[in-house]
Amino acid sequence: MPKPALAESLLRAARRARAPVAFAAALVGAASLLDMGAAAAQVKLLPAEEAFRFAARGLDARTVEASFAVADGYYLYRDKLRFSATPEAVALGSVTLPAGKVKEDPFFGRVETYRDRVVVRLPLDNAAPGQVVTVRAESQGCADAGVCYPPNAQSVTVTLPGAGAPPGVLIEANPPRKRWFN
Amino acid sequence: MNEQDSRPAPRRRWLTYAIAAAVALGLGVYAFSLLPEPAPGSRDSGPLLAVSLPDMEGNPQSLSQWRGRLLVVNFWATWCAPCKEEMPMFVQAQAAYGDKGLQFVGIAVDDAVKVRQFAREIGLNYPALIGGYGAMELSKTLGNSVMALPFTIVIDRSGKVVLTQLGPVRPAQIDRLVADFL
Repeated sequence: MPKPALAESLLRAARRARAPVAFAAALVGAASLLDMGAAAAQVKLLPAEEAFRFAARGLDARTVEASFAVADGYYLYRDKLRFSATPEAVALGSVTLPAGKVKEDPFFGRVETYRDRVVVRLPLDNAAPGQVVTVRAESQGCADAGVCYPPNAQSVTVTLPGAGAPPGVLIEANPPRKRWFN
Repeated sequence: MNEQDSRPAPRRRWLTYAIAAAVALGLGVYAFSLLPEPAPGSRDSGPLLAVSLPDMEGNPQSLSQWRGRLLVVNFWATWCAPCKEEMPMFVQAQAAYGDKGLQFVGIAVDDAVKVRQFAREIGLNYPALIGGYGAMELSKTLGNSVMALPFTIVIDRSGKVVLTQLGPVRPAQIDRLVADFL
């Protein structure tokens, strides 16, 4: 009888330590199907700190470079961005925000938004080389999925490079938590 | 094929089970991470109905006064475009089904001046309570873990939470609620 023979040989093959591999392969296959189903079913919204990730680094002895990494499908309002620096003695000068993407909003009229990434230089008129400075950014944004987040403040503390030294490393306000499975 | 081949040595069998268990555990964790948002905070409307907030004129209003109606509590703000977008539809539904027992109540994560202005603009015909940013925390306790707006909770006439939703309510959902619960 061919069928039982085939089944038996398959069983034997499985018993020969291939079982875990086959089992794992089948489950991974099933899981990827599950994943596609979940993605189609709904958008998982991020909390503000993950949708708009604030980071900064000491660019030179008198400048902090602040940036936002904006998650795909999210945007920040240009006119809601505010920066401050402490100690106040470092004297944050006037900040020039880059031009955003113009959006015609039925309620707010012509607004500029930032997507993907926005980088802003914060001039510190009275900072000393090697000084430790905390920069605070207030931002407000929305998701294309149709929700908005209240104004959110994030802070990063950086050390300004010494005179003539290269820029410091980028420090994230809320480093992403390690995610094992998604 | 001898006996040795078809039956793995105890050590190998142990390894097989261990790998299978590890894979199963991993997939369990993975599948769990794919589950929809922690969803419908509580099925119990008690904590929400116990809330009392000032209305646009500053008079305290307890949500419990609308017990027994099909109550749609909508958290919104004037800085939230998707919130403002869906509200005219609520105004229409309030006008159409108010006398049958449908009751919208807005809780604004905002200040009274801005709320009054927008209420006039759209001819708001249901109560708008002023929650300030504290209302954001309140919505979090009710299931808005992402802390974004609009966020809507519907309580049926018996006091059961029948819908908790982050993001705009679709007109079809209002029709459905009216058909099912009025």
